[in-house]
Amino acid sequence: MGKFSYVLKNTLLNMRRTPLLVFATIIAVLVSSFLVFTTLSARSIVENNTLRWQNGIHVVVFLDDRVTTTAHKQLETSLEDYPEVRTVDYFSKPEAKEEFKVLFKDQPELLAEVDFEILPASLRINLNDPSNYKLIIERLDGNPAVKEIRTSGQAIERLLSLTDTLVISASAFALLIGFAAFILIINTLRLAAYSKKKEIKIMRLIGASSTYIRLPFIFEAVIESLIGTSIAVGFGWALIEYSKNSIVADSIFDITISDDYLIFLTLSLLMFSLIFGLFASFVGIRRALND
Amino acid sequence: MISLKNVSLVFQGGSVAISNISTEVKEGEFVYLVGHSGSGKSSFLKLLYKEYIATKGEIEVANIDVSKLPKWKIPLLRRKIGIVTQEPQLLENRNTFENISFALEVMGSLPEEIDAKTNTLLDLVDLSESAYKHPGQLSGGEQTRVSIARALANNPVVLLCDEPTGNLDPDLSIQIVSLLEKINRAGTTVVMATHDSSIVNRRKKRVIELSDGKIIRDELEGSYI
Repeated sequence: MGKFSYVLKNTLLNMRRTPLLVFATIIAVLVSSFLVFTTLSARSIVENNTLRWQNGIHVVVFLDDRVTTTAHKQLETSLEDYPEVRTVDYFSKPEAKEEFKVLFKDQPELLAEVDFEILPASLRINLNDPSNYKLIIERLDGNPAVKEIRTSGQAIERLLSLTDTLVISASAFALLIGFAAFILIINTLRLAAYSKKKEIKIMRLIGASSTYIRLPFIFEAVIESLIGTSIAVGFGWALIEYSKNSIVADSIFDITISDDYLIFLTLSLLMFSLIFGLFASFVGIRRALND
Repeated sequence: MISLKNVSLVFQGGSVAISNISTEVKEGEFVYLVGHSGSGKSSFLKLLYKEYIATKGEIEVANIDVSKLPKWKIPLLRRKIGIVTQEPQLLENRNTFENISFALEVMGSLPEEIDAKTNTLLDLVDLSESAYKHPGQLSGGEQTRVSIARALANNPVVLLCDEPTGNLDPDLSIQIVSLLEKINRAGTTVVMATHDSSIVNRRKKRVIELSDGKIIRDELEGSYI
């Protein structure tokens, strides 16, 4: 107990000795951890949304009105035979009209003016693997019953690619700031070790073990790292809660992210910051304390 | 208590600090280690608390085989030894009481033990009146006494003193030696390196003389010469 209180007291004394450096270190860890937390959360949200979209309709084949309903049915049957196709639903012109009315129920002027006859019948296709949408386009190329083909695949691919770019850029930036935090911790510890040179020499003469001499420095690095990460994670959770009620959530995205994933992410980050602090302290005081 | 067998210490570059020395110091003895500057006195002491690692030979201190002691076990050896250096090595931002209690604090003693033991040590070195003075307010002799008190904090069986009177005037030096003799009478083995002839000749104690890293004289009731 006596030893622990000595270590704790000296950890706090070390931190009080260089408050600005400690503050800078915590901020650097905070920014770095926040970037990692938010980008990984954002990626999870995008993945959840694309999964939702991918479970829906992947390809819509608008049918030419000039072709007979029999031809439409033949096309539906042949599509159902393709191995990449999971389901095909025929959506008739009256159904298209009803859907249009539902979608634009808030715009009576538009509903009053639109000519529902121009709305084509369509085949709505759900694929086993949404990335195979190009195969369907190839298969239907030149088919006279087909007026137009629209797919969600391209949009999803663009979105995922954008998310990946965002994650890579943010990770690189987080890594850069993380490295700055690493250097800051090393410098803070070296300054602390230098200012306690005489004390450390006396401790060695008295018979204090190396581990015991190092503990206040290790604690300092770990505390700074954990404080930074904890605040970052707190901000991250708050940001997600805020986003759930924001306009973005009401329009395009469903800001849902599982609590399990958030807890996993939080614990992983805290564990990483603990290891980060330990490693930084090891590097920081290795030379300073080795006589 | 202390035993050296054919011990040598050669520094990198080939300079020989200690050359094939063998000697023993019994429990409760008071030994003066004398010799000119550079004769090997400090190296001799540093070998005993493994600040230097012997190039050759066997060293035993307080039943610990120092020559085979791994680095991580050096603290265990030092907890049995009190070390007093020529420079008192006091912490400027701590007062006398805190400088002494520091040793107890570091070794994890409980607060009540720290207070009681520190007060006893202050009495022993006759510094109770100066308990709350900082090193800058103490004389050289008082600073050395603080450093002796600190070295005694963990009840060492051996006290190694490397020229503790090196920076002191004769009167203060005698005060320090009297204190060390008092500690010795209480049962602690004392080895004191010095090149102060007046101290050594004051009372007849065992004298080991070193020259060029070799023991050239070992007398049970010796003098400086």
